[in-house]
Amino acid sequence: MRWFKAQSDELGHLENTVMEALWRHGEGNVREVGARLGRPLAYTTVMTTLDRLYKKGFLERRKQDRAFVYSPRYSETQWERKRAGEFLAGYLSGPRTSRDLLISCLVDAAGERDSALLDELERKIRSKRKELSGGRPS
Amino acid sequence: MNLPYGARLASIAAASFFAVNLAAGAVSLALERILRRRSNGCDPRRAAAILLALRLGPGAVALAAVAILCVPSFLVLEPAETGESASVVCLAMAILGVVLTAAGAARGATAWLRSRGFEGSSETLRLGARRFPVRIVKSQRPLLALVGVARPRLVATRAVLRALKPAELDAALRHERAHAVSRDNSKRLLMALAPDLVPFGAGLRGLERSWARYAERAADDRAVAGSARRSVALAAALVRVARLGAAAPIPLAASLMGDAADLEARVERLLRAPLPAGNRSGRQPWLWALASVAATTAVCAAYPVLLITVHELLERFMD
Repeated sequence: MRWFKAQSDELGHLENTVMEALWRHGEGNVREVGARLGRPLAYTTVMTTLDRLYKKGFLERRKQDRAFVYSPRYSETQWERKRAGEFLAGYLSGPRTSRDLLISCLVDAAGERDSALLDELERKIRSKRKELSGGRPS
Repeated sequence: MNLPYGARLASIAAASFFAVNLAAGAVSLALERILRRRSNGCDPRRAAAILLALRLGPGAVALAAVAILCVPSFLVLEPAETGESASVVCLAMAILGVVLTAAGAARGATAWLRSRGFEGSSETLRLGARRFPVRIVKSQRPLLALVGVARPRLVATRAVLRALKPAELDAALRHERAHAVSRDNSKRLLMALAPDLVPFGAGLRGLERSWARYAERAADDRAVAGSARRSVALAAALVRVARLGAAAPIPLAASLMGDAADLEARVERLLRAPLPAGNRSGRQPWLWALASVAATTAVCAAYPVLLITVHELLERFMD
């Protein structure tokens, strides 16, 4: 059941915060990561979270001066892409109704986006026409 | 495996074609990556010409290397009576070379056949300020395009003609005629026929997509010819046709919409007047002629040595 697997890979709130800190500031040990989180957390809480992320495969670690230095295995973009891919794969491998629902939502979203884009382009064209005919652009 | 003289020549030619095409293709891709980083704001016609050269270059270089170096060196320096063997690598590459060429030919033929259906139509209207002849075609999807290679024709569906205002239609037809002047459909056919890096691969297709985008911009420039009003009319035509839905896909056609994903960028560019008139400038034909003469002289002077070197390389390759 890939759908459930994708769900289990979801990050908790603290895990997400830790990942964001690592993406923003780069690698760090437990103390350094804890200092970047912007709120006071126990050393053991940060250590457990980093360890859990390492075991889930989101982080890499190496030993430096008797402490582990953690770094993200994926860039933020790679992670977002992986998550989106897993989400879609989960839906597509599910029952036919959920697959049809997803495709219909995607088509609707693309259509709405296209329509909004064309509206915006038409507004710009009208504005340019006004400018050319001597009126002020809206 | 022992091969007769003729079979060895054929396998050497096909294997060399594959190897040179692969190496030249890799160089093309590397050059395209470098150019992509520096292409902001460059002249679309020049960019399209460079991309076309990068797409067709590998096949042309491979063909030239086989015709000018490999085959002559084999014919001149290889004794006819020796019954030498060919290595497995050489034979495998020869097969790949043959399949690569056949795949290109098949792609070109398929594209040509798929485009033919849209050329024929009984009704022709004269439209636009310049009274361009436009054939009316029946299609579920909106279409305004230049179709055909040898004798390109403007074709359109009634839905598109109804949707466009006179100034927009005129700008759109000028855009399509610009494709005819640039012989863009012939270039499309050449690219379809040109071999990719490997048989049935798509390594060089990115170059074709990039070329198509620049060719559309170049046609936009030529169509508007520096007129801000025509720029706006063409931008409006693009948006109106986009509202009708995705265009009918025809391989050897220059459709008004081009790549739908590029629509926003094209419209923004058209509204950012003034566009260049699309005239060729800064060309120095004498410089190219001089370079060609120098290159030809150098090759002729070094030709005997080149043949011997190539023959030695081929001998090692065959064993």
